[in-house]
Amino acid sequence: MIRLDNISFKYAGSEAFALRDINISVGAGEFVGVIGPAGAGKSTLAQALSGVVPHVRRGDFYGAAWVDGSDTVNTTPAELARSVGCVFQDVESQFATTMVEDEILYALENFSVPREDMPERVNQALLDMGIGDLRERSLFSLSGGQKQKVALAAVMALAPKLLVLDEPTGELDPKSSVQVLRLLQLMREKRGTTIVIVEQKIMLLCEFADRLIVMDKGRIALDGSVRELLNQPDQLLELGVNCPRVTSLAARMKARGWTNREPPINIPEAERMVREAIS
Amino acid sequence: MTGLLDYQPGSSPLHKAHPLVKLLLAVAICVCGFLADSIYINIIILLLIVLCGARCGLARQIRATLKGMGALCAILFILQLPFIGSGRVWIDLPLGMTVTDQGVRFCAQLCLRLIGATLPLVMLFAVTRLSDLTNTLVAQLGIPYRYAFVLTTAVRFIPVLLGEMREVIEAQTARGVELDVGVLRKIRLIPPLCAPLLVSCVQRMENNALAAELRGFYLRKRGSGYRRYPLSGVDYAWIVSCVILLTISIIL
Amino acid sequence: MIRLENVSFELSNRPIINDVGFRLEPGAFAALVGGNGAGKSTLLKIIMGLYRPARGAVYIDGEATRGMRVSAIAKKAGFLFQNPDRQIFGATVRAELAFGLAELGISSEEARRRVEGTLERLGLDGSRAPMSLSRGERQRVALAGLFARRPKILLLDEPTTGLDYRECMQMMRCVAELNEEGATILMVTHDMEVALDFAPRMLILADGQLMAQGLTRDLMRDAELLERASLMPAQIVALSARLGIAPGEADDVDSLTDWIAARRAAKGGTAR
Repeated sequence: MIRLDNISFKYAGSEAFALRDINISVGAGEFVGVIGPAGAGKSTLAQALSGVVPHVRRGDFYGAAWVDGSDTVNTTPAELARSVGCVFQDVESQFATTMVEDEILYALENFSVPREDMPERVNQALLDMGIGDLRERSLFSLSGGQKQKVALAAVMALAPKLLVLDEPTGELDPKSSVQVLRLLQLMREKRGTTIVIVEQKIMLLCEFADRLIVMDKGRIALDGSVRELLNQPDQLLELGVNCPRVTSLAARMKARGWTNREPPINIPEAERMVREAIS
Repeated sequence: MTGLLDYQPGSSPLHKAHPLVKLLLAVAICVCGFLADSIYINIIILLLIVLCGARCGLARQIRATLKGMGALCAILFILQLPFIGSGRVWIDLPLGMTVTDQGVRFCAQLCLRLIGATLPLVMLFAVTRLSDLTNTLVAQLGIPYRYAFVLTTAVRFIPVLLGEMREVIEAQTARGVELDVGVLRKIRLIPPLCAPLLVSCVQRMENNALAAELRGFYLRKRGSGYRRYPLSGVDYAWIVSCVILLTISIIL
Repeated sequence: MIRLENVSFELSNRPIINDVGFRLEPGAFAALVGGNGAGKSTLLKIIMGLYRPARGAVYIDGEATRGMRVSAIAKKAGFLFQNPDRQIFGATVRAELAFGLAELGISSEEARRRVEGTLERLGLDGSRAPMSLSRGERQRVALAGLFARRPKILLLDEPTTGLDYRECMQMMRCVAELNEEGATILMVTHDMEVALDFAPRMLILADGQLMAQGLTRDLMRDAELLERASLMPAQIVALSARLGIAPGEADDVDSLTDWIAARRAAKGGTAR
């Protein structure tokens, strides 16, 4: 689905490389979390997948980026958008209309989806996100979590093969954040959507993603399955990424020889690990 | 946020009318107000708008507009009045200024015209979904989509801008900045208020343009809209009444 | 000290805050938590005097704020906005800090001393342009602006949102230091780990009402209560609860490790 071959990128007018020697390949249906300190190049990476880099945010682009079979340098962001859906953190500024229903219709209309298919697509997108009751509402009247779900629905209506999200839960409370991640998981299971999500909340990533990419200073510092990376809590911390607390606990227990389980990714797993150790 | 330019769902005759007919109606009423010589026509038009709007559930918008415009008009009235010398003098003021019967009539009509031009537009946005308006402008009048999008964006950004402005003011007030002080100090306070506002607006606009592009903004064509807007018999009746209204105001 | 008595607030006839009352002693550090739209920011702004309550009274440092100008309240309380870009406009970090002091009528000599002291203390370069800094650094510039004014009370609106882990910890260490020096702190946050680590007290807001208040480690154990407030407990607390450990006994990795060690030792002892 995604293949990045030796990508380096420097914003026009900037001295430093925002991305450096990036090599990634992501298969269809993968759920990939991208994490790392501020300024590590996470957003730039996300924008390279949607073609915003280098078409809108210009600069020196080296290497080749293939997304769903298209070379992003030779394809416009609008064309790429047929297979790549994007959701940003600042949900307010990604809306193009004022009503929920119009917002979902917007991209369908632009991409000339057959008119008779539209009602079904809109319905399905609203139902999938669990916001059927918001259909007639004004976007101004929605809460932060609801707005983020509308933005997701608007993108999902196009049935993208790849969904790229840049800190979609930044402004959301814990419960809404989990809800958004659950919806993504659902889309992956139901439609086989490939998901790449930039996120600071590592606990969410551990629970929902199957692969983690840690970035630092424009490079890929670590890349592996969630459990592989959780086995290296010290490296993570050195890169400015915190571990979930249960992972730190597991590392301690392992160091003392109390457990030899894989690091837990959620509370029930951690409970099992501790109970085993004390029984 | 329930701002003045927000759409208010409803099923009144005004809501049901064709978006372009509503636009025509609003513009026609504005034009009538300016064409009419007799102040009585202005009064009648205003009464008709208010009655019609109230019946269509727009009492809140009308009250808010009248309140806002009322204040503005009062100031205009007082500023304008003493400088009109023609007509029968009612009161003599110093510096050769006077209050005359014609002056009062002229100023009153000016105010009525202003209110008569504002109200229909406020009502238009209250009974018409913005997307319906832009869709019809694009599909039926052939206006390029990018211009229609500018209209949508402008209206959409008003509440966003107001919200940002409020937050910037709050942020500076919380630092001990006093905004309710003399004019000179206020000028000094322009940078702390405007710089953050400008930064956040530019950021937002940029993101907005980007998001629109990623969702196929440039691919949109004239016939892209999902909704269709056929004209009904009632719509033709509205158009006829617009013409009648315009004719009357030109004749009188 | 902050004290609220039966505070209610409405916005265009819609109740936003409903009959909220609490009291924070001098030097207290409390987290104000709740779901999106629960009224947390509004409550903070009411305390700062930016919004005036429809009913009830707010006391800051023992003084009722009714009728007090915000500029007078600003002498006692500082407010950190969620988005630092709403207040930053100075050409340099130094100018930004000095502006806040000038507004409070502090002499330029004293202001200079305070600005330099603050820059050194928070590890900021005074000659940099704020807009060239990262989000986390800008947030710290905004905090420095508060710090230079030495308020007795700090109201923080999601100070760590949008920051990475390192920036978040730097930010919170600054805040914790201010608290140790005696500042009373009320902090809105969505991060339950931060709340548990730094704020001994917690206030839970839901639909504009104060749902619960008390010790953070106690409230964190009430999973059902948190669920109703759109929140989730910090991980180790949730784990302790499932393991049946008494509240407050093992809330962090260290104490839970100790607890496991003790259990293993006790078991090993009986086996022998």
